[in-house]
Amino acid sequence: MRALSYAYLVAIFAFIFLPVVVLVLFSFQAGRLPVPPFDGPSLKWYAEVLADRGLMEALRNSLFVALISSTIALTLGFLAAQGLARVHLPGSVIMRGLLIAPMTVSYLIIALGLLSMFNVIGVRPSLWATGVGHVVINLPLCFAILFAAMGDHQKNAERAARDLGASELQVVALVTAPMLKPALLAAFFLSVTFSWDEFIIAFLLTRFDVTLPVEIWSMLRSGLSPATNAIGSLVFLVSIAILIILELTVFRKPKS
Amino acid sequence: MTADVALQSISQSFGTFQALDNIDLSFGAGEFVVLLGPSGCGKSTLLFILGGFLSPTSGTVKIGGRDMDGVAPKNRPTTTMFQDYALFPHMSLRDNVGFGLRMKGMGRAARNAKAEDMLDLVGLRDKAGRKPHELSGGQRQRVALARALAVDPDVLLLDEPLGALDLKLRRQMQDELKAIQRKVGTTFVHVTHDQEEAMAIADRIVVMNQGRVEDFGAPEEIYLRPKTLFTANFMGDINLLPGDLHPAKPGIAHGVRPENVGLKGDVALGPATLDSTAFFGTYHRCHFRSTDAAATPYVAHLPLGDLPAPGATVPLFASHVVALQAAP
Repeated sequence: MRALSYAYLVAIFAFIFLPVVVLVLFSFQAGRLPVPPFDGPSLKWYAEVLADRGLMEALRNSLFVALISSTIALTLGFLAAQGLARVHLPGSVIMRGLLIAPMTVSYLIIALGLLSMFNVIGVRPSLWATGVGHVVINLPLCFAILFAAMGDHQKNAERAARDLGASELQVVALVTAPMLKPALLAAFFLSVTFSWDEFIIAFLLTRFDVTLPVEIWSMLRSGLSPATNAIGSLVFLVSIAILIILELTVFRKPKS
Repeated sequence: MTADVALQSISQSFGTFQALDNIDLSFGAGEFVVLLGPSGCGKSTLLFILGGFLSPTSGTVKIGGRDMDGVAPKNRPTTTMFQDYALFPHMSLRDNVGFGLRMKGMGRAARNAKAEDMLDLVGLRDKAGRKPHELSGGQRQRVALARALAVDPDVLLLDEPLGALDLKLRRQMQDELKAIQRKVGTTFVHVTHDQEEAMAIADRIVVMNQGRVEDFGAPEEIYLRPKTLFTANFMGDINLLPGDLHPAKPGIAHGVRPENVGLKGDVALGPATLDSTAFFGTYHRCHFRSTDAAATPYVAHLPLGDLPAPGATVPLFASHVVALQAAP
């Protein structure tokens, strides 16, 4: 029975991670095709990828879009959550629903909607347009995380701060934001990862400057190459790094 | 610092609900006032109006003679100690207590010194670098007190601050609160629904019910000479006397405390039968029933040694009978 549960454990992790392991393994392939047999290890594809201007620019574009759009989504989400948690407005339940609703819409639909809307108002496809798209998908996420983290406990602390002479700006900067730090970090880093990995919106809303997933897509169209494995591994490395940062900052248990 | 407080015809309604109905009160500078009443009586609403968190539907609040209309909480000479303490969890005790001083623009060194003095006042100087979650409930409560007092308010408002503490700690904190109030001389307005707590700490008690002031006076006065039936009942057990027994005084009812019912006294209650007794350490709590047709129940606290046998019929007497009004 015990052996069986270990076997299950191994099987489930193999199922989850085997594709990534294969991807990373064949990024060290020496030959021209990322297929067995493995004849590495070799770092030549990494060297090629890192020397590729187009790829490196796409990587910088991706980072730029992810950081800017996540910052905007976080700010807007925070303000919306703070407003709806603090002030009783008529129809605040509906507003909350409308803010979260885009989460249920597929990225493809959002991308198509943005594409036709940008066409109507005459905005050309660009990294900025993609950034707007990423704000649209990440705002509901940031709002939901932050709204859930705001409780009476915090409301009372804010009231105490106001009573002790803090202005509204000081309340937010010195009490609200520090108390919400775990939720703020979680929302920000999740937004960054979602934006970093996002393909379809970036594909439809960029033209000359593209993000990394779009660049990888165009590489794939010219056939399989260990170079795509190498860049895939680098993307994976960034995601892992974000995960580790999250683990160390947000999910670490406070020492008591 | 300290200041007097005047509330003039304060009314507050929430929709159709009348939370406060024409409240007129004035507190002296340096007084320890307790707002006492059952939940929903309007005592917390009144406190929030004093603190500026709520503007009254009508009426005037004056603190130190200054009209507080339209003055925000942060600009009032009041601070509030909240029910759940509302400490800032991400700050050390020193920074918590120094927060109000920081908002006033005091430099770090000066405010740390002041914060540590305030922590000293509540006996927590050695924990200045700790965070609130490392403290016990009673300690957090002390920090909240130090934080509220650090900015030298004229009036300190306390919203059921002892509600979350267990009984023993609550009694201990009452004594400390009273001692600290004597020391700093600030006017304290304290909200509670615990009449023992009110009597233990108050200079004067405001008894509230359904948005109105039922009674206002020193604890002895409120307990021994309650003005209304509500106050008499809320402050402890009271025996209501049948109509033909009381001395001729106006009022809808006449009452007497259980400790003033006994085997001798000014007013004869007639013969009564002892139904049951319970031993309370310093007295016996006895349930009597009059032998006449009305079978009026009486509760008496008899001193040790005075106890008739259960089932015995004895003549009962009352003293310190008070006349009670229906409403103030």
